[in-house]
Amino acid sequence: MELQPTAAPEEPQERVFQGVPAAPGIAIGPVYLFNKEEVVVEARPLAQEEVEVELERFEQAVQRAERDLDKISSVAREKLGEESASVFEAQRLMLRDPSVYDQIRAFITTQRCNADYAVAHVLDQHLKRLEASNSAYLRERVADLIDVKERIIRHLRREKLLSAVDPEHIIVAENLSAADVVLFSRRGILGCATDHGGPTSHVSIMARALGVPAVVSLHGLSDAIQTGDLAILDGLLGRVIVNPSPATLAQYRMRQERYRRLLEAQQYLVPLPAETLDGHRFTLRANLELIEELDLLQKYGAEGIGLFRTEVLFLMRGPLNVSEDYQLHLYRQIVERVKPAPTTFRLLDLGGDKMLPVAHREHNPFLGWRGLRVLLDKPELLFPQLRALLRASAYGPVRLLVPMVTTLDEFRQFLDVLDAVKAELRAQGESFDEGIPVGIMVEVPAVALMADLFAEEVDFFSIGTNDLTQYTLAVDRGNDLVARRYEALHPAVLRLIKATIDAGHRHGIPVSLCGELAGDPQATPILAGLGLDEFSAAPPYLPEVKRVIRAMHLGEAQALAAQALQARTAGEVVALVSAWLREHGCGLLQHMQADEASANGTLSL
Amino acid sequence: MIVREVTVKNKAGLHTRPASMIVRTASRFKSDFYIEKDGYEINGKSIIGVMTLAAEQGARLKLIFDGEDEQEAAEAIVSLFEQGFGEVE
Repeated sequence: MELQPTAAPEEPQERVFQGVPAAPGIAIGPVYLFNKEEVVVEARPLAQEEVEVELERFEQAVQRAERDLDKISSVAREKLGEESASVFEAQRLMLRDPSVYDQIRAFITTQRCNADYAVAHVLDQHLKRLEASNSAYLRERVADLIDVKERIIRHLRREKLLSAVDPEHIIVAENLSAADVVLFSRRGILGCATDHGGPTSHVSIMARALGVPAVVSLHGLSDAIQTGDLAILDGLLGRVIVNPSPATLAQYRMRQERYRRLLEAQQYLVPLPAETLDGHRFTLRANLELIEELDLLQKYGAEGIGLFRTEVLFLMRGPLNVSEDYQLHLYRQIVERVKPAPTTFRLLDLGGDKMLPVAHREHNPFLGWRGLRVLLDKPELLFPQLRALLRASAYGPVRLLVPMVTTLDEFRQFLDVLDAVKAELRAQGESFDEGIPVGIMVEVPAVALMADLFAEEVDFFSIGTNDLTQYTLAVDRGNDLVARRYEALHPAVLRLIKATIDAGHRHGIPVSLCGELAGDPQATPILAGLGLDEFSAAPPYLPEVKRVIRAMHLGEAQALAAQALQARTAGEVVALVSAWLREHGCGLLQHMQADEASANGTLSL
Repeated sequence: MIVREVTVKNKAGLHTRPASMIVRTASRFKSDFYIEKDGYEINGKSIIGVMTLAAEQGARLKLIFDGEDEQEAAEAIVSLFEQGFGEVE
């Protein structure tokens, strides 16, 4: 494509794609390009004697599709739970649905045409009807029906839909569905890389839950790569390197080995307390979103859940009207597994980058209808969730976390609703924790600045640094033009964190941090020095945070934090903390996350 | 032919999982099975049909069973509705 000297064409150019880390790990191997381009179907007339053969061909394709979906739903049930499995089971039932199966057979027979065309024709009729429906639930089923249609057609053409995916490959795609990731993981793939998606999209959540290294938001990768190309996927740095040079490859083999040894070495940290050398204890908790992730608490030594995002439970299910009893059923399982440690449930946090299912588009969603604003406007969402969470508190310690609070007015409005729900439950004789702790997310600068007044009315703070940083620096992380200006360790953000922690402590309430910063060992000494009580992060990041805590004295961390608060730029903070971590010999993972600088293998474990 | 009237009890209505349960159960029987809602009738053995009803909590449905095992089919399906598809504790 490009103009290049014709010499040595057998040496392909190394190319680096920077995306967003979605699930940790390093994979090196050949690429499998998973293409989901639209299936083109042409009509082909049949002779009368061919009809019988065509019907048999259709039957074979349906049977193969059934086997596919059986496999997918059994994996989904085992790894992700009954709810996710039901979607695939419904797809399987669609294959033999009389309005699909019988009609396709009738169409082949009466129109004497090929099965591919009949399948497309019949399913397109259904699709048109669903798309025209005024029920959001039905419109969302369109994707299921398209999957079914394409699955049958591919089987008719004997294109193996997924079975062409060999183990030991890195899957590259424009986008992947939940089903794809589940099936791929079953086939023992090395990793997943997609052009689109963010760290909280379905692919990322699934990949983390299933332990598959993944990178998302790699714009243009799938156009630039071919099946069989060698690639390196770095789920720590959020990077994919295509056709790496022998030098890069050697460097990465070492990096991969170091990461493996790092994980091994972390094992000894799991049962140990997060305690500084001078005996100051911190609490490490987990950020989770799936029930199936609960095993990770023990595996990585988390003391309870600092943030359970409830959006996913809702989104997995499709419509937003998840019943109170069903919610209770889920929350209770979680609480009972986690107790005696507490589970902090964040109420539904919709809007912003988490799409509302209703066709609801705003010019500026991050400054729009999201978090608590949605909940107060939508009692049909808030009431059942509060009732279910309160009822769950009868089975173990539950903390309520209110998302995206901006003003005291709206928080008080929320407290009124909570009181009303409690009174209702009392009247109905339901038991619940009367003193259930209520905390707020501190993610809007207004709240951090007013933290002393909020602290009089809440039981705990949880700082959400992802949004706090975006709002403070006026940078949308999802906007490629400005994303590099998103600086998690900017002194302005650190000052707001400090204001929040100080206000909390003056009023005797604990302060937690549940943004990505909590799992970043580079931030650990600063946050500890600022007086943070609780770090809440994706479980795999906790051991490294603990390693840093266990290697320092509190006084040293406090001195570092004081310096960081006086820094003029984020760069100064990073320089300060890097030097500090080197001195304390505890920046191992940080070295892995830093650029290739440390790739010469000078680090030993 | 047996006709039974039921009310959708479970809060989320006849979404994916309950719809699958109805179709799977109905398919075990030889009898024809139709569901009528607001004068609109669908084949109860069709998952797409059941989903298309978009029946929400409180919806009144007429279940029509016709065939040699209609009695058993009616009992099995009606009990799914009565138990709220396993969602109500």
